Amino acid sequence: MRAGILANSLPAALKIYDEALKVRGCAPFILLCPTQGESGWRSVSKHLARLFLKRGRAKSLRLIFGRRVLLFRKRLDHPDTLERLKRLNLDVGLHKAGVIYREPTIHAFRLGILNPHIGRLPGYRGRNVMEWSVIQGDAVGITVFFIDAGIDTGQRIVLREEVDIKHCRSIGEAKQYLFDLDAEFFRRALELLRSEDFEYQLNDDSGRRYYVMSKLFQGVVEKVIMNYEF
Amino acid sequence: MRELISQALKERFGELCRKRIISLAPEKFGEQAAYVSLLRERLLKATPAEIKEDSKAALHVPDHWTETGAGCLPSLRALSLCQRLELRPAHLPPPVPFVKLLKESGPTPSRRFQLLAERYSCPLNIALDVEEEVREYVLNSLMVRDRARVEKGGVAPPMADELLLKLSLMSVAAALLPDLRFLDALNYYYELLPAEWLPSGQSGWLLVCYYGLYARALAAWI
Repeated sequence: MRAGILANSLPAALKIYDEALKVRGCAPFILLCPTQGESGWRSVSKHLARLFLKRGRAKSLRLIFGRRVLLFRKRLDHPDTLERLKRLNLDVGLHKAGVIYREPTIHAFRLGILNPHIGRLPGYRGRNVMEWSVIQGDAVGITVFFIDAGIDTGQRIVLREEVDIKHCRSIGEAKQYLFDLDAEFFRRALELLRSEDFEYQLNDDSGRRYYVMSKLFQGVVEKVIMNYEF
Repeated sequence: MRELISQALKERFGELCRKRIISLAPEKFGEQAAYVSLLRERLLKATPAEIKEDSKAALHVPDHWTETGAGCLPSLRALSLCQRLELRPAHLPPPVPFVKLLKESGPTPSRRFQLLAERYSCPLNIALDVEEEVREYVLNSLMVRDRARVEKGGVAPPMADELLLKLSLMSVAAALLPDLRFLDALNYYYELLPAEWLPSGQSGWLLVCYYGLYARALAAWI
């Protein structure tokens, strides 16, 4: 299985790369995507700066010279980028970039692009879903699903699991904890996709779309998390 | 959890009624000065429990699609003061083409304002089950497109009337439906709109109406 990690920076993709390597028969690649509103050259300079200033330089260089890292200077739905993506023959994309994918980009991957959403689908779509789950007394969790052009509406769920955040003491800490689980959840999703008896769960239309939460309700959530007993 | 939410809403209710609404000078509202003055007076001393009790008779989900002779804006004004609307049964308009109409209205806030005001000549209808698609559309437009615009450049005059009408309708939904998202859209806009903001134009009083209905929605959840 050929997996492309769509990321805006090389260091951000390294953990996912390591986890994907653990999956039997998986060949991961890191696809460095341009940041929205940033010129190609500025993007390249930032990548170079990160390469020399951040940790893991030796490993990054090894991956670059091993042709595991590909730099895309044009936006992901640009015809040239799409052509390059198709030539790579990737089975699955792993979302780690701050971009919104359009249909042609999604279809450049045989199965599609996986997203580790920090909410339980189909119940919680949209923004601040961890906070919304907490304030409504529901379980917090992560859902890895294949995206479509809508907001968390892709129908194929690969993995959905409750995650305990009771050791966290703030919204920020809890969200970071969930975001940091992305590599592990990607690995498990890839393993599931490779298993013979795997079946998708359905992300139907039964849930609600949530929006940015007010400071008032965020204050309530903050109090709840602060007072968790573990 | 319920208690924590209730406590937070009580604090917001106090701030809204004793600070935000009271800072609005009635004389700035021209012909609507008496309305603004009356609303301020009603909300200044009332407790959330009193407001909740007071709202019961006027704010309710109708059994079926209804009409009022007054029209949307006078009805919203009446509901903010908790005056009962004179309701009469009416034929249900088809919901799907309406959302399509709203979507197709493009960059014309005045057209959407007109469409919403016509459909919700009785604002209580927004809480009916059949209006789910429209409610979701209005909530989405408030929290995505409008929010982005307001955060970027404030409320431009042509947008103010539409925004305040949508917030007033969402207040009715928030007071009547067990869905925290509607109430939180109101919370969000309360935090987003500058306290001293006073829209110009004939519907400036809609801001006061939104505040009055927001107070009733908060009371319903306390």
